[in-house]
Amino acid sequence: MTWLTIVLCGFFTFLMRFIPLSGIMPKKLYPNIKPSLEYIPLVVLTPIIFNGLSVFENNIIFVTENFKLYSAIIAVLAAIVFNNVLITITLGMLSFLLMSNFLNI
Amino acid sequence: MNKWIIFRQGILEELPLQLGVFPFGIIYGIMAIESGLTPLQSFLMSSIIFGGASQIVFVQLISSSSSIPIILTSITAINSRHFLYSLSMYDFLIKLKLKWRIILAYLLTDEAYAVSIRKFMKEPNNSLLRYHLLGTGLTLFTSWQMATLTGILLGGNLPQFLDLNFIIPLTFLAIIVPMINSISTFFAVLSSGLSSLYFKNLELSLWILLAGIVGLFVGFITRKLDKKE
Repeated sequence: MTWLTIVLCGFFTFLMRFIPLSGIMPKKLYPNIKPSLEYIPLVVLTPIIFNGLSVFENNIIFVTENFKLYSAIIAVLAAIVFNNVLITITLGMLSFLLMSNFLNI
Repeated sequence: MNKWIIFRQGILEELPLQLGVFPFGIIYGIMAIESGLTPLQSFLMSSIIFGGASQIVFVQLISSSSSIPIILTSITAINSRHFLYSLSMYDFLIKLKLKWRIILAYLLTDEAYAVSIRKFMKEPNNSLLRYHLLGTGLTLFTSWQMATLTGILLGGNLPQFLDLNFIIPLTFLAIIVPMINSISTFFAVLSSGLSSLYFKNLELSLWILLAGIVGLFVGFITRKLDKKE
């Protein structure tokens, strides 16, 4: 049963990726939504970022004592200045490691 | 620029993201084994589903004895964003032969898409763009399989500094910040991020989809502000 579940999940995941490229979707639909497509990578990835950086407790978001948030701010600045994925990840990760290991707010 | 140069460019541009992907894959491998899956199931799932976050959700659900419909619905909801990725690449890929579209659709995951869409948007008239996505996709695929295998072999001996909850958002942050280049993209990002926090308690990971819709809507209605720039 586990194998069947894995295969079905794989099949549906592939369908999600393939259907728009299959050519079976009506062509008239596409020009109507085209102007919004440039936002897709931003609006899909941003929620993952926000939720990954947030510390929740009883539906309250904690800002202080959240080293991920501070490190993310450093990473944003690094991304703006360097526009380089490797440098941004390295600086963000380094600052997080330093803060979480050496700071006690 | 020939196809090999573009293919290699895709590989090289994808490599830095493996800093985030590899630990993620290791953690998946460990979690899969701990959830009771066999090493073969754990390993092959990375090829069959090939979708990081959804695989982690899969092992969480399977370890809590969830039913097949619940698992299927959850995985499909999480991976529904790939539909949007694919849709945004329609113009670039629809004229390719079916075998190319099948291969590239299979490889169209978060990190491969995030890197290649920048190239696609920058050079929309380049007829060899498929090789870039092939490069990013195959790099990610190889890395993901190796990371999964490492996690399976490691078992519970995960280094403490590998914080999955931070590495993944950090990776995406590095990708999207340079893409915020107008008022409407800024508002799209802000609205999708904030609404995702509001929708967080929804089941089936629907917050990703709903926040994406909010962001799309806000981006679309604030496009007028871009024209005044």
